Amino acid sequence: MKLFAFLSFLALPLAFAASSDGKEKLTSLAASGNGVIKLNDEIFDLLTAPSRDWSASIQFTALDKRRRCAPCKEFEPSWNAVAKAWTTVPAAQRDHHFFATLDFDDAPGVFQKLNLASAPVVWVYGAARGPYQTGKTQPLKYDFSNGFEAGPLALHLSNHTPVPIPYKAPIDWARWMTVISGLLGFALTIRFIAPVLQSRWTWAIITICTSLTMTGGYMFTRIRGAPYTGADGSWIAGGYQNQFGQEVQVVALIYGTLAFSVVMLTMIVPYQSSPARQRLQIYLWSGVLMLVFSVLVTLFRVKNRGYPFRLLL
Amino acid sequence: MARKTSAASTDPAPRNDAISALFRAYSSNTSDRLKFIDAFLVFLILSGVIQFAYCVLVTNFPFNAFLAGFSSNVGQFVLTASLRSQVNPENKTEFKEVSPERAFADFVLGSIVLHFFVYNFLG
Amino acid sequence: MPTAYPLPTNVSPATVANTASLLRIVAFGLISAAAIASRLFAVINFESIIHEFDPWFNYRATRVLAAKGFYEFWNWFDPTAWYPLGRVVGGTIYPGLMATSGVIYNFLHYFNLPVDIRNICVLLAPGFSALTAWATYMFTAELKDPSAGLLAAAFIGIVPGYISRSVAGSYDNEAIAIFLLMFTFYCWIKALKLGSAFFGTLAAVFYFYMVAAWGGYAFITNMIPVHALVLLLMGRFSGRLYVAYSSWFRFVGFQPVRTSEHMGALGVFGLLQIVAFASLVRSHVSSKQFQNLLAISVVTMGVLGAGAFVVMTYKGWIAPWTGRFYSLWDTGYAKKYIPIIASVSEHQPTAWPSFFMDLQMLIFLFPAGVVMCFRDLRDEHVFVIIYAVVASYFAGVMVRLMLTLTPVVCVSAAVAFSTLLDTYIDPTEPEATTTEAPTAAPTTTTTTATATPDSKKIKKAVAAAQAGNSASSIASSTFNDIVSATTRKGKSSKSKGIWGADARLAVLLNAIGMLAFFVFHCTWVTSNAYSSPSVVLASTNSDGSQHIIDDYREAYYWLRQNTPQDAVVMSWWDYGYQIAGMADRPTLVDNNTWNNTHIATVGKAMSSPEEIAYPILRKHDVDYVLIIFGGLLGYSGDDINKFLWMVRIAQGVWPDEIQEPNYFTPTGEYRVDDRASDAMKNSLMYKMSYYRFAELYGNQNAVDRVRNQAIPKVGPTLDYLDEAFTSENWIVRIYQVRKEDPLGRDLKSANAFEQGKKKKRSKPVSKRRVIVN
Repeated sequence: MKLFAFLSFLALPLAFAASSDGKEKLTSLAASGNGVIKLNDEIFDLLTAPSRDWSASIQFTALDKRRRCAPCKEFEPSWNAVAKAWTTVPAAQRDHHFFATLDFDDAPGVFQKLNLASAPVVWVYGAARGPYQTGKTQPLKYDFSNGFEAGPLALHLSNHTPVPIPYKAPIDWARWMTVISGLLGFALTIRFIAPVLQSRWTWAIITICTSLTMTGGYMFTRIRGAPYTGADGSWIAGGYQNQFGQEVQVVALIYGTLAFSVVMLTMIVPYQSSPARQRLQIYLWSGVLMLVFSVLVTLFRVKNRGYPFRLLL
Repeated sequence: MARKTSAASTDPAPRNDAISALFRAYSSNTSDRLKFIDAFLVFLILSGVIQFAYCVLVTNFPFNAFLAGFSSNVGQFVLTASLRSQVNPENKTEFKEVSPERAFADFVLGSIVLHFFVYNFLG
Repeated sequence: MPTAYPLPTNVSPATVANTASLLRIVAFGLISAAAIASRLFAVINFESIIHEFDPWFNYRATRVLAAKGFYEFWNWFDPTAWYPLGRVVGGTIYPGLMATSGVIYNFLHYFNLPVDIRNICVLLAPGFSALTAWATYMFTAELKDPSAGLLAAAFIGIVPGYISRSVAGSYDNEAIAIFLLMFTFYCWIKALKLGSAFFGTLAAVFYFYMVAAWGGYAFITNMIPVHALVLLLMGRFSGRLYVAYSSWFRFVGFQPVRTSEHMGALGVFGLLQIVAFASLVRSHVSSKQFQNLLAISVVTMGVLGAGAFVVMTYKGWIAPWTGRFYSLWDTGYAKKYIPIIASVSEHQPTAWPSFFMDLQMLIFLFPAGVVMCFRDLRDEHVFVIIYAVVASYFAGVMVRLMLTLTPVVCVSAAVAFSTLLDTYIDPTEPEATTTEAPTAAPTTTTTTATATPDSKKIKKAVAAAQAGNSASSIASSTFNDIVSATTRKGKSSKSKGIWGADARLAVLLNAIGMLAFFVFHCTWVTSNAYSSPSVVLASTNSDGSQHIIDDYREAYYWLRQNTPQDAVVMSWWDYGYQIAGMADRPTLVDNNTWNNTHIATVGKAMSSPEEIAYPILRKHDVDYVLIIFGGLLGYSGDDINKFLWMVRIAQGVWPDEIQEPNYFTPTGEYRVDDRASDAMKNSLMYKMSYYRFAELYGNQNAVDRVRNQAIPKVGPTLDYLDEAFTSENWIVRIYQVRKEDPLGRDLKSANAFEQGKKKKRSKPVSKRRVIVN
């Protein structure tokens, strides 16, 4: 009788041996890897076993230098930070969700099997059994449209973890230090820079520079993340509703030159004391005005093909 | 006026001097007409304070009514204060084109518009 | 006094003044005429019709107002919008526009002028553009002089940046808002200048009108306080500022008192009261200590107020900034959290060609004008400078806010241009103190002569700066003197002017040439880019004649004629107002994008496969689905190009079911041809767009002309929808949603069953497999 009980006691874990052994292994792997399990073919199969009662988020990446995957490197720290945040969760919930990283060079077969052609990719495998069962067999893909930051990632993955991931953005000490030291420096030097700050021309320069960069389309490049130049080295983006970073500089410079020549003509030249020099300057600045305006119109014709007008050029 | 005590209270030593000097300067340098306006301003402040206290301490039940009453108070206060600075002979240089009569007409117009809005706001 | 060209001497000053004012009136009349006329291209090229999307709703609302009166209009509940939710129209719109046309309509009818309400709506924007020109004239005249005002009026009259929102038929809030904006600013400047409570009250009244007319009123709510605050910081507090700000603010105080947009105004108001009181006390007491104390307490109170604001927002006592405003500061915010706002085309950031297209030469005269404002730097110039910085940032962030930038660009460019003209038309020549080859002696005398007052001024200023460190105002003003003195040093400030007629002629010809070019540019842009009603399209035939494409109205009238009155039409939200206005049918979503979930539902239906979409359609009683397809004609504003936004918005609500990357090819391209992803090919939108498209080309070489991609020979099939109507050029396609199968099968197998009977011989195997499934 005793023996029987003992046997049944033995047999009970045996029935779930595969599952719970695997789970222990995964838990220890996760603990040793700072919350992230490093995958190869074998562990991948274990982690995504059809009888799993845990869920898993897997990052497919290619960190080797030869793969030249810049976004992979960019995303890696965010991934590790979120995984580390997950380790702080109590073990009861923690062990129902695993974070794992699969590098292409460790298991190219998995990439092939899953038909993955690009990296980084994040898939979430829901639990197939157990209390957190989702009923979905297909893994869900994380959408990188919000960028590679850890915040949105943690927020999204929290939908699939037993409890929300307690991720907190780390306090950016460097930034705070810069701000504080900047303020201190400002307070210390205020005596010396006060005349500069109170000069209207300082403010004039600030104002003009701001409006020139804005009208040069700087915000467009900021918001759309437009590259500085095109892939083929061209600095003018094709199309009317598009532009590269370098165009901002060129256009702002053109506007600035034109505005400057108007300012010279109205505010400086009339104070010239020699008629000959004044005449020379007037012709010079008028010429600049005309010429640079023509350049601007030509530039605009490149952007807007249908524009019918042209000046000197 | 209410705010000077709170402004000065941080440093008690020069306060008495300063306040008495202020009071003396005020009573000797200000014309009766301005003092009359100031009396109205003080009344408006008191009324505003009472309304606010009522709202905080007792109830803000007809919240619209409180807002309307309070903002009519504030509006009337700033209008009157504007009138005061416009008719103040010391500000003659600032308000070259506003005669005291014109200022009063503006004051009346402003008050009418103000109370029209207040009435509308009463709901 | 030497002059560059002869002047008539026998004219009395009175005659000159009278002629000048007559000329001004004539010029202004011509400017108004030009402003109105240049907005009529749309009416001449097409017809007197309401444009675009939002105006259709405004027009519909105005018709209700004109027919039923204001009270009914205010309580109007529209059951056909946002089916099945309905929409309380009265409380959710800016009624200023409708009320304006309602008043005009009643006014004209009172005088027995039976003008159709539609014509009033169509012509309202051009009419108000003339008023805008007048307000700009007044504003600029305050800034510089009437001649600059006339230039500014001319600029704003024809500048494309403003025309783009105010052509005839563009019956939208902006049509009257810019006039209100400029006039409010004018009243504010005037009130500030005179210290007049009258103009302050006027500013408040027009501000109130603006609040009722356009959501952009928050711009005024914050511009005026910022201006007042900057003036305070510059040490320019005066009784006039107090009067002007107080008389304006009283009414702002009645706005919802607990929203962040108004807190800045409230804070400045409080600060102003304190400063006013402090300066009053200061004028009575000379005690140094007391003054210091006052200054400190004022600063402390300001800091405390700002802190309290932050705490109160944090605690939720004050509503935080609404998403639309917030997205102006954090530019990535909208795309992440409110894709609907980010999806609107007019909320996209502005690339530089748009700036140049809309403002042409004004865009580079604008910084020059700002520099000239810095030279004078009176209170009103400070206003223009702040306006310039703020508006150029906003215009960069959103195409739509180009509209707020345009007035300040016109004003500032007019100041620059008229200064240029003044300088070079002015006939007086400076006294030639030097000959062509300047000798040493005269130059030194001139410089010393001019330098003496300058150096005196500097000494005095330095002394004053040292003495008056308590009052920052004195320091700053003297400092400005120093700067102006130092910048002028070396140049003689006495002999200002131009020698000779040829130099004048060169500059003036250049200037006139630029003006003429500007006029050509504006005419071209207006007639080509901004005068399309977008309800009616135009193309040019090979012989140069115009070909009108009227698919939209064709389809909407088809709906109106052929469907029951209560048939619910589903379309992407862009077309909601048009369907309601022209077809008079209930719609699921429309351009008033207040309910994100409802829009996401439509997005989900469009981007899901038929089997998933069908229950959604049935649940919402949808009878017809309307899509816009430009592939045949090459019309790029169609639904396939907007499709990704539908996906994104749906993804925001159902992140598990709809995922944007699935709609791209594995290489990350957005394609509609053979290589399109499965999710794309199976989506309802794709199927409806390309249903029977290949047949049109005889099943070969079918090409989508927008995306320039070949469409697969075997087109998509539809099991749950029937094609009901396709317009002449295929731009509008309408599908009817099938009712449930009477035998209780699901429609797919029912369909397959019927087709299997018909085509059994051709494809028996595949069809049978479907049935088995």
